[in-house]
Amino acid sequence: MEAAARTRLLDRLREVVGDRYTLADPYEIRLYQYDSSPETALPDLVVIPASAAEVAAVVKICAEEGCPLVSRAGATGLAGGTVPVFGGVVLAFSRMDRVLELDYENLRAVVEPGLVNLALSNATRPRGYYYVPDPSSQGASTIGGNVATNAGGPHTLLYGVTVNHVTGLELALPSGELVEVGGGRAAETTGYDLTGLVVGSEGTMAVVTKVWVKLTAVPPQSKTLMAIYPDVRSAGNAVSAVVGSGILPAAIEMMDNISIRAIEAAVHAGYPTDAGAVLLLEVDGLPDVVQQLTERMVAICRQHGATEVRVAKDEAERQALWRGRKGAFSAMGRISTDFYVMDGVVPRTRLPELLDQIERISQRSGYRIANVFHAGDGNVHPLVLFDAFQPGQYEEVLKIGDEILKLCADAGGSITGEHGIGLEKRENMRYIFSEDDLAVMDQVRRVFDPDRRMNPGKLFPTDGAEPPRIHAVRGQRAAARGSITGEEPWI
Amino acid sequence: MKTEVGQRQDLAVDGLVPSTTMSPASVAAAAADLGRCYEEGLAVIPQGGRTQIGMGAVPHRYDVAFSTTGLSRLLEHEPADLTCRVEAGMRLGALQAVLHLHGQRLPLDPPHPEEATVGGLLAANTNGLGRGRHGTVRDWVIGVTVLYPVGNPARVARAGGKVVKNVAGYDLMKLHIGALGTLGVIAEVNFKVQTLPEASADMLAWFDTPAAALRCGHGLALGYLLPAAMAVLNREALGQCGVTAPRPWVLAARLEGYQAEVAAARDRVAAAAREAGGQVEEPAPMFWDAARGWPAAPAPAVVLRAATSLTGVPRLVDAIGTDASVMAQPGVGVVQVRPLPGMAEPVVNRLREALGPGGSVVVERAPAAEKASLDVWGPPPAGFALMRGLKASLDPRGVLNPGRFVGGI
Repeated sequence: MEAAARTRLLDRLREVVGDRYTLADPYEIRLYQYDSSPETALPDLVVIPASAAEVAAVVKICAEEGCPLVSRAGATGLAGGTVPVFGGVVLAFSRMDRVLELDYENLRAVVEPGLVNLALSNATRPRGYYYVPDPSSQGASTIGGNVATNAGGPHTLLYGVTVNHVTGLELALPSGELVEVGGGRAAETTGYDLTGLVVGSEGTMAVVTKVWVKLTAVPPQSKTLMAIYPDVRSAGNAVSAVVGSGILPAAIEMMDNISIRAIEAAVHAGYPTDAGAVLLLEVDGLPDVVQQLTERMVAICRQHGATEVRVAKDEAERQALWRGRKGAFSAMGRISTDFYVMDGVVPRTRLPELLDQIERISQRSGYRIANVFHAGDGNVHPLVLFDAFQPGQYEEVLKIGDEILKLCADAGGSITGEHGIGLEKRENMRYIFSEDDLAVMDQVRRVFDPDRRMNPGKLFPTDGAEPPRIHAVRGQRAAARGSITGEEPWI
Repeated sequence: MKTEVGQRQDLAVDGLVPSTTMSPASVAAAAADLGRCYEEGLAVIPQGGRTQIGMGAVPHRYDVAFSTTGLSRLLEHEPADLTCRVEAGMRLGALQAVLHLHGQRLPLDPPHPEEATVGGLLAANTNGLGRGRHGTVRDWVIGVTVLYPVGNPARVARAGGKVVKNVAGYDLMKLHIGALGTLGVIAEVNFKVQTLPEASADMLAWFDTPAAALRCGHGLALGYLLPAAMAVLNREALGQCGVTAPRPWVLAARLEGYQAEVAAARDRVAAAAREAGGQVEEPAPMFWDAARGWPAAPAPAVVLRAATSLTGVPRLVDAIGTDASVMAQPGVGVVQVRPLPGMAEPVVNRLREALGPGGSVVVERAPAAEKASLDVWGPPPAGFALMRGLKASLDPRGVLNPGRFVGGI
């Protein structure tokens, strides 16, 4: 962006959102070059709007100025989805974080996209309702970000992912026009399901300014049990046996030994550090039913080689078990300076084979790979442990990531179950989609955004054409032998 | 491919008959056939079991009856993965039969499952009474293969995949569900499936007023033990389902789940019904089969479908008055209506007036002659410009179902 264009843009944006919430200072905008992925890129300007009307006005100005636009809220994304690799304007949703309406009689909530996921359930639980999707980042990630990536979480096994719980959206289209799509409170509406289409489109179609979500009655009781196994394979067999028994658990999670040790060091969840694998199984429902199902699951776990099965005896113990699982990624800091999170999916029956292959990759490459995953739906999160200060390691780890995703694709799975494609997996899209598949997706995108200005450089393969501003902060760190370097922001 | 005249009448849509039929037996053949339609600008109406062929506005043109019933294979079913992949012309009943063998099902319960194809199920977004608990078609489709008429042969493109959790690429499944075949011809569908419930039970509760029945149903929908299906019917609708009513309104509930859950739900429904002044009994075994097929009434019936919020349901039922048979889903926000002969227009108008913001009133079935005056889809929804843009991009020559969808798409 040229200096004159940037100055003009800055002046116009200031008129909409005010000086205080239009950031141009190099020091301030540097904070917006990150999300939770290793890549960074500087925006030209950052705006922090307070309302849908302000968002729409900002989007309209960007359309008139031909400026790229990237929305961000919690910035917990692991795939680089909010890193502004083409510069331009970053729309930060930190001020649009209100619950607009709680309509219990219609089982709906209307919220702004910057609302933190957990804040919604915290607001509704006293009345006996909750918002079901619970990504592990739910204490920091927002409903808007969850909509962008169609976020999942442990409890999606039984209850579905974000798109199953979103009934309507207010969108600022790339032209700046505001439209409400979907039924909202109503069961359905006519026309194409634009709500379902936009959820998971990673900000490449429109900016979400309001979200209608379903509220669900909280189950009277939830019970979590931990089953301890000598190895991952026997734990995997137990998962298949539970699923095959007709029990529908609300969540089935697995962690391997490396993960267990990291978690114990960090959060003391009560996991046995000498176990080869632990399973967390949760059922919910009426107390009688929960009791019966728990007993059945305990028996199945024992039959399939569990050395011990512990049922959380109260809510505190249950929360501790979940704190361990949900804190697994950040716990890796206890055992490695850096880690690279993968998000592959295979059909559940292919899990044992995939885990063997990952183990072989680990042995061959010398990198430790921890496994934390949603075993019930075949969604794996291998964490490749490395040291970014060692030159070359980051690049090698990325290659390992590609290799694992290829294995998932070849097993009939997917390259992302819940984190999204973002920047990270653009090129991997070719593992699962043909030229024709991608062409149709691009056609659809251009109906919304003919100039591809909304979150450019994401989701679609670019065939090696690097976006202008990208650089990996950890790669740079290695190159600089320990000192974080960054480009000077464009001024 | 020429067709005999007698056959053409069987393939009529709103009185229009095609000049050609195509019934490809493979996806590649389908792409070639659709490609030819693109090249020659022929108006195509894709069809499977034709159970919902009466939906939509009267087509502007109709040249080709494009049958998917030659694409009827089950391609994959890995029971332990709870997923399957099928060709779009497979009958839902045939798929369910295979799944049942493994103790599984697709928890979608549309009318005429023996005839309806899975492709049609998606295109028409036909959802049975079980949607309150099990969701709708969109909650069970995890991947599609679609033919797009953008060249010859047609472009074959997939979206989604075969795994239950997947966010790679755009969710184009959503775009085709309920699109009535206006954006592409669905060739294959991947579903996630469900283990059959351990137990189920059916109940009826009789009421004197719709308000009491609906209030009872709404209350049950807000609680934890949500029935799998709930419908409130008036005496006329119930009669059409073969049940003689001791009182003018009934709340029907189907309960599913683990044994203990169903037992508890039964007590809860009975208690709630009695508290609301209802009289509880077990229904005749055939009731749910009849109720399932009720919205798919044979011609010349007019069938309307109104969608609203949960709290909007009583208002709509009030607006209908006594001029129709009514089946309302108080836990979902859908009201289906079969007006008495000659009463369709006033009932549609009253429903549209009573409808709050959001929601819709759609004429699902009506004789072609009545469709024009009834305005089948009602006013175009918000975001209609985008919908028109999607149509223009994915079907640039307008060969698919011209004129049948919302706003003349």
